[in-house]
Amino acid sequence: MNIILIGMNHKTAPLEIRERLSLSCGDDINHLAEIMNIPEIKEGLYLATCNRVEVLANAADSESAVERLRAFIFHHGNLSAEEMNKCLYLHYDHEAVRHLFRVTSSIDSMVMGEPQILGQIKDAFRTAVEHNATGVILNKILHHAFRVAKRVRSETGIANNAVSVSFAAVELAKKIFGVLEGRNVLLIGAGEMSELAAKHLISRRVGKMFIANRTYARAVKMAEDFHGTAIEFDMLPEKLRDVDIVITSTGAPGYVLTPPMIEAAIRRRKNRLLFLIDIAVPRDIDPAVGEIDNVYLYNIDDLQDIVDSNLKSRKKEAEKAETIIDEEVTKYLEWYSALEVVPTIISLREKMDGIIRGEIAKSSTWMENLTEDEKRNIEIMANSIINKVLHDPIVGLKEESKDNSALPYVAAIRRLFALDDK
Amino acid sequence: MDIIFFRVALVVYLLSALGYLGSLYIRRVLVARVSTWVLSSAFAFHTLFFAFRFIKTGQNPVISFHETISFFAWAMTGIYLAFQLKTKTRVLGAFVSPVTFLLMIAASKDLGGYVSIPVALQSNLVPVHVILSVTGEALFALATCAGAMYLIQEGLLKNKKVSSFSKVLPSLTDLDRINHMCLMLGFSLLTLGILVGSIWARSVWGSLWQWDPKQTWTLAAWFAYAVLLHQRLAMGWKGHKAALFTLLAFAALLISLVLVSLFFVTAHRFI
Repeated sequence: MNIILIGMNHKTAPLEIRERLSLSCGDDINHLAEIMNIPEIKEGLYLATCNRVEVLANAADSESAVERLRAFIFHHGNLSAEEMNKCLYLHYDHEAVRHLFRVTSSIDSMVMGEPQILGQIKDAFRTAVEHNATGVILNKILHHAFRVAKRVRSETGIANNAVSVSFAAVELAKKIFGVLEGRNVLLIGAGEMSELAAKHLISRRVGKMFIANRTYARAVKMAEDFHGTAIEFDMLPEKLRDVDIVITSTGAPGYVLTPPMIEAAIRRRKNRLLFLIDIAVPRDIDPAVGEIDNVYLYNIDDLQDIVDSNLKSRKKEAEKAETIIDEEVTKYLEWYSALEVVPTIISLREKMDGIIRGEIAKSSTWMENLTEDEKRNIEIMANSIINKVLHDPIVGLKEESKDNSALPYVAAIRRLFALDDK
Repeated sequence: MDIIFFRVALVVYLLSALGYLGSLYIRRVLVARVSTWVLSSAFAFHTLFFAFRFIKTGQNPVISFHETISFFAWAMTGIYLAFQLKTKTRVLGAFVSPVTFLLMIAASKDLGGYVSIPVALQSNLVPVHVILSVTGEALFALATCAGAMYLIQEGLLKNKKVSSFSKVLPSLTDLDRINHMCLMLGFSLLTLGILVGSIWARSVWGSLWQWDPKQTWTLAAWFAYAVLLHQRLAMGWKGHKAALFTLLAFAALLISLVLVSLFFVTAHRFI
């Protein structure tokens, strides 16, 4: 096996080094072409995302291929050799396969379980296939990796539960309202996190969006961004009747929403549920509001607690995922070891011997009249026919195996003689 | 033949209850999905039981205490399954199916003993009265399940314990909606059931109402539900209060259904 995986990720390399290496994300093709120009490399895949740069290769001679890959990275990274070697990791064979499976399953991601990485690897693979950079080995590994990712996703809870504050808020809203379609949202004050939450809500097709700000002009500006309606700050108590979700993030020193305001609003909305998200520090909503019936109040710490516990549960799920990956690596190795020349020759012979035995057994009735010598001669003849037939293919396989290029032939023979069907 | 269907239904109800509870425990939707199909088949067997029973005796199959309990379980399951088609509240099955199974255990006592119906009860109005009332009560039972789940989910959300259990439960709005729909429909059916019962009572006992303990308790429960519906529709009660009151009203109904039948002398007893 001569599979090499070389690269760096968010754990091993600081951002500025990854940046330099991933260069401009657009020209993956040139990188791939450059990798494929390395004579030892038979198959290659180049993956660059914000958090990682990796090269997966199947090489004729791993030592010199690794040296050339290092040179490639060194050249593009524009770094000192020492710096470079500190950031790089290098895996061979089954460790390389395991690493790829972990990356594809999003266990190795910065935010464990995030779904983008699978798509990014699929894109990288598509590029490689389109440029004829992959063959029997990489195709199999990548397809296997996609299957593993799917298994991990469906058999573990690694992708469950929000791991960002704004997503946690959206999930809570879903626990309260079910579908969010048509629910009206009120945004009080501006802020990165509240705007992010608002964007998530919009993507769930919420109803109207209202925006209030101490500075009315700012509210108007934001309303344009969100296709919402700006409202005057002193209209807030009034508006609370018509909205279901309120996100506050003002810089106000005191409480913007108080229990009497909310109680009045709840009465006027005939007890319809109200979800208040207070992202501001200091808080915008009096915590006593949370005691009111049918009002659900979450502040930034509450949301952060949810995110923390979700992250913890993802870590636990990751352990299950590791077990799955172990199993799958073993399965891959089984497939791979079957691709060796010798086992293939043995199973080819076994298959042929089986056929001879079967045919002789079938003919046993009419062979009864023959003498033992005659019977033995027939067997010898059958065996030598098979030997003659197999001679050239076996010699050919052995010759190809000398320079590690037998794999496609082995794969073809296993397929054509159905050696993997048991 | 009918008894076999009953026993099969009983076992299959148990399987579905175990499936639903298991799905809660391991938090996998697939298991709950399979359990819904298991529950549907139990419901089908149970339906066959009633059909065969009716064909065999040619009389109202819902007359004895045990038959009534079994019919109650059947109606509750049927209504839940109908809900299941329209809403994503599979987890409600984890509340409904164990209750159904326990009711079936209770109903399986004295199974197969066919009762000869007294002349007074040989009216076409009796099955109508029983079926309407019991279906209404089954709807109340479901409203109570939804109410209980609402209170659990609400407690989790209010106390910010958004554990994975909270994720399994339906949203507050969905639970409130189920509670509301079950109450409206159940109240209408129970009201009709009581009316039909009193019309029949007049033909037998000469007056519409006898102030029998069971009737009195049922009336009390009926009033509790009337108040609840009024508060919901006119006063805009929603969520917490409505859910809590549903539980209280159901407690009154349970007294009329079970305790009165067991401990009071009543003309309105089961055979």
